[in-house]
Amino acid sequence: MELYVILRRGGWPTGDHLREAAARSTTEGARMADDVRWIRSYVTAENDGTIGTVCLYEASSPEAIRAHARNAELPVDEIVKVADTVIVRPDPAPVAA
Amino acid sequence: MSCVTTVGIRSGRVLFERDELLAALSSALDVARAGRGRVVLVSGEAGIGKTALARVFCEGVNGSATVLWGGCDALFTPQPLGPFLHLAEGASGSVTNLFEAPKSASEVVEALLGLARAGAPLILVLEDLHWADEATLDALRLLARRIGTSSALVLATYRDDELDRSHPLRSVLGELATSVEVSRMAVPRLSPTAVAHLAAESDVDAAAIYRLTAGNPFYVTEVLAAGGAEISESVRDLVLARVAPLSLPATALVEATSIAPPSLDAALMLAVRGEAVDAVEECLASGVLRVVNGGIAFRHELARATVEEALMPTRRLALHRAVLLALADADSSSGDLARLAHHAEGAGDADAVLRYAPAAGAQAADVGAHREAAAQYGRALRFAGGISESERADLLERQSAAHYQTDEQHQAIAALQLAIECHRRAGDVRREARALSRLVPQLTCPGFIVEAERAALDAISLLEPLSPGPELPAAYGAMAVVQLHKDDLEETIVWGTRAAELARSDGEDAILVDALTSAGYAEVMRDGPAASGTLEAALVLARRLDVGVARVLNNLAYGAVLHRAHGLTERFCREGLEYCADRDLDLWRLSLLGAVIRSRVDQGRWAEALDAAQILVEDPRASPEPRVAALLAFARVRARRGDPDAHAPLDAVLALEPQWDELVWLGPIGAARAEVAWLEGKHENVASVSDRALELAILRRSPWWVGELAYWRWKAGIQDGVLNGTAEPYALQIAGDWRCAAVRWADLGCPYEAALALSEADDEQALRDALDELYRLGARPAAKMVARRLREEGVRDVASGPRASTRENPARLTNREVEVLHLVTDGLRNGEIARRLFVSPRTVDHHVSSILRKLNVGSRGAAVAEASHRGLLEDR
Repeated sequence: MELYVILRRGGWPTGDHLREAAARSTTEGARMADDVRWIRSYVTAENDGTIGTVCLYEASSPEAIRAHARNAELPVDEIVKVADTVIVRPDPAPVAA
Repeated sequence: MSCVTTVGIRSGRVLFERDELLAALSSALDVARAGRGRVVLVSGEAGIGKTALARVFCEGVNGSATVLWGGCDALFTPQPLGPFLHLAEGASGSVTNLFEAPKSASEVVEALLGLARAGAPLILVLEDLHWADEATLDALRLLARRIGTSSALVLATYRDDELDRSHPLRSVLGELATSVEVSRMAVPRLSPTAVAHLAAESDVDAAAIYRLTAGNPFYVTEVLAAGGAEISESVRDLVLARVAPLSLPATALVEATSIAPPSLDAALMLAVRGEAVDAVEECLASGVLRVVNGGIAFRHELARATVEEALMPTRRLALHRAVLLALADADSSSGDLARLAHHAEGAGDADAVLRYAPAAGAQAADVGAHREAAAQYGRALRFAGGISESERADLLERQSAAHYQTDEQHQAIAALQLAIECHRRAGDVRREARALSRLVPQLTCPGFIVEAERAALDAISLLEPLSPGPELPAAYGAMAVVQLHKDDLEETIVWGTRAAELARSDGEDAILVDALTSAGYAEVMRDGPAASGTLEAALVLARRLDVGVARVLNNLAYGAVLHRAHGLTERFCREGLEYCADRDLDLWRLSLLGAVIRSRVDQGRWAEALDAAQILVEDPRASPEPRVAALLAFARVRARRGDPDAHAPLDAVLALEPQWDELVWLGPIGAARAEVAWLEGKHENVASVSDRALELAILRRSPWWVGELAYWRWKAGIQDGVLNGTAEPYALQIAGDWRCAAVRWADLGCPYEAALALSEADDEQALRDALDELYRLGARPAAKMVARRLREEGVRDVASGPRASTRENPARLTNREVEVLHLVTDGLRNGEIARRLFVSPRTVDHHVSSILRKLNVGSRGAAVAEASHRGLLEDR
């Protein structure tokens, strides 16, 4: 398994849409447990008022990430491999959605 | 029914800590009973209780199912289809002669599935698959493919700690892993609590037993049987200590049983040691041996192996001799050839080995157990000191053919080269030449083209001075194959035509099919799919004779792929895959899959291309050519999408190390590396990765490779002007006629290439169309280049990503989902759909659940009803 960052910019019009997507993502992730592991996500507030995400996944390949996205109906703009992790501070308290 | 002395775990039929496993088996049986058959793979170390688990489960079934029981033997070279030859009814019942002398794995599977459909559900226990012969593994593979519509439950046990990386069972397990009808079950060691329960009646310290045995039930039983006197001893000593107190005749019986796995039958017992029969009771009472199917056997294979290993070499030799004599006297059926060869070798009896091993090899080859066939010929060759060159050559040729069938190419080549030397020493020129011709496809397959050409030339120069015979057209045909691998199409047609003329006048139909296939393929490669007359003629003849059909269809498919004739590719691949599936021709099936992958990449069906590529790279049997096609698909699609890891598959290709200097390899590899370099903006690398490939493409006059390689070089700014012999759409692009090129690519069904052609326009609308199409395809890097050009030219509101409408439309089924839904409507199960669409069953699973979610229904039946209600299935 390698670590990947996935950009899903402006994928959803509202927080409700995103929450439904997150539920599909979890279900699908459980079915593909050998190939993808969702680590964490940051929800982005896009300039046009939509909502996007920057997600961190462990996956067996970029194709596994795309298959997961296809099955859970999530957009994928870009997949980038993580070469190294530098943690300076733990995440601050979650920002309320 | 014979009685069974089970001294497994001594508390009767109670198994400790197996309730969950038994419950899982019961529910698998329930599913099978409902007509959805299952395979359960039961794994665990030796002595862990796999057999005991199966036995208790089958006894619990209580007659509500037919139970058949077969096991693989611990012979060095097992009897092909051995487990099916001696099927017992139930764990201990009499042997049924379901099969007299099965001809093939598929015949066995047919009969078993027939039983399962006839009445009560069938439970088939197959034990010790780590010793299985190749034909038995084929049977298991076939069973798993077809079991889903039967009411059979197959329990297959194997030792997972005995499978090294190259073990044949591994690839079977890998293939079965993707099947929804197959599940796995690992039998764990016992906990300290369970060991304490078992030890409760003895005065041995349970904690000490656990420490010694680590919870392995066989070891626990042995320690308890030893009474704990010597608790620190090894298991070997424990087993031997149990044999030691036996009387001399009983010891002799135990020893004889140890060299004749799996069991010694009554006739053998009498023959080997007449006076020992009285000792049977003693052996049974001691718990060392038990009664099985009219004979006696060790209670556990571990104990048998221990006793056998402890035999003095002279004693072992004497025992093998006695058993060999007894078996040979018994006027035994040919079914015992593998056993005879086993004991002949153990007895060091060269005459007997040479009598039985080749016959056992031929029998194995007949039923498709080629690995065992090769081993039997190898056994004979070890004892071949006194035979003639001609006889030795014959053994070597047969061994080579067996290796070739199992894709052990280097061994196949080595054996055939030795055979050629034998013929040469014997002065048999025709057979030497024939063997040289046969060597050619074995050499070209792993890429030894220079050596192959030398072999074909040698064969021809040996034969041309002689009077005509069937060897000469075969040699010409071999030369055509060599030229084909060099992509020298003109020479292929010359040699292939010459071979075909001779073969036709001599009535050598098999050689004729082969020659027409080579020549016809070269014609298609040179002139396009419209020139497929010769190849279609070869197909008709091949189908009539049922020889070489897979090769013809494979060549038709690859010819169509090169010319981007996707409709034809799909047709030939579908016909070829059906043909191969019916006959279990896995190597050709994988090769055809390579053509499917290339075609789908070209069609912009990237996710599907990589689904198929995944199946291919995971199969260790795939030959280099399709494997390269799969790896290159990963590289190109990742690069086109802008995904990471495009270089890993390219590195894997370069690490394969066949001999590369031919267009058939360098064309696709050079093109893929050039495209990846261009997409990454490393234009300076494009030349070095494609120089040699382009040189070869020009030399071999291959328009599509000249075109594609020149095109990427033109994109990178290192190629001006159109080279002679460039395929039309590339020539149009390089000449600057993007508009015609885009139309041409669209006509061919290559959307990515069409979009790239549009992206070379100086027209804003064309550039916008290119951008939309590239986003639709998910081709981010190329889209970014187009977006940048539009902005540089002052165009505003350039999209920075796919339009929302193309990106998300949750309610609508994708084309692929509609396709899957049609097959669901036809009543196909996921495994069948997967094979139809060349994807893994898991992918089908995803499609089906996506369909259910989108239609908001809970079952396949409801999905079909809802889809037909909504009119989704009408435009078929």
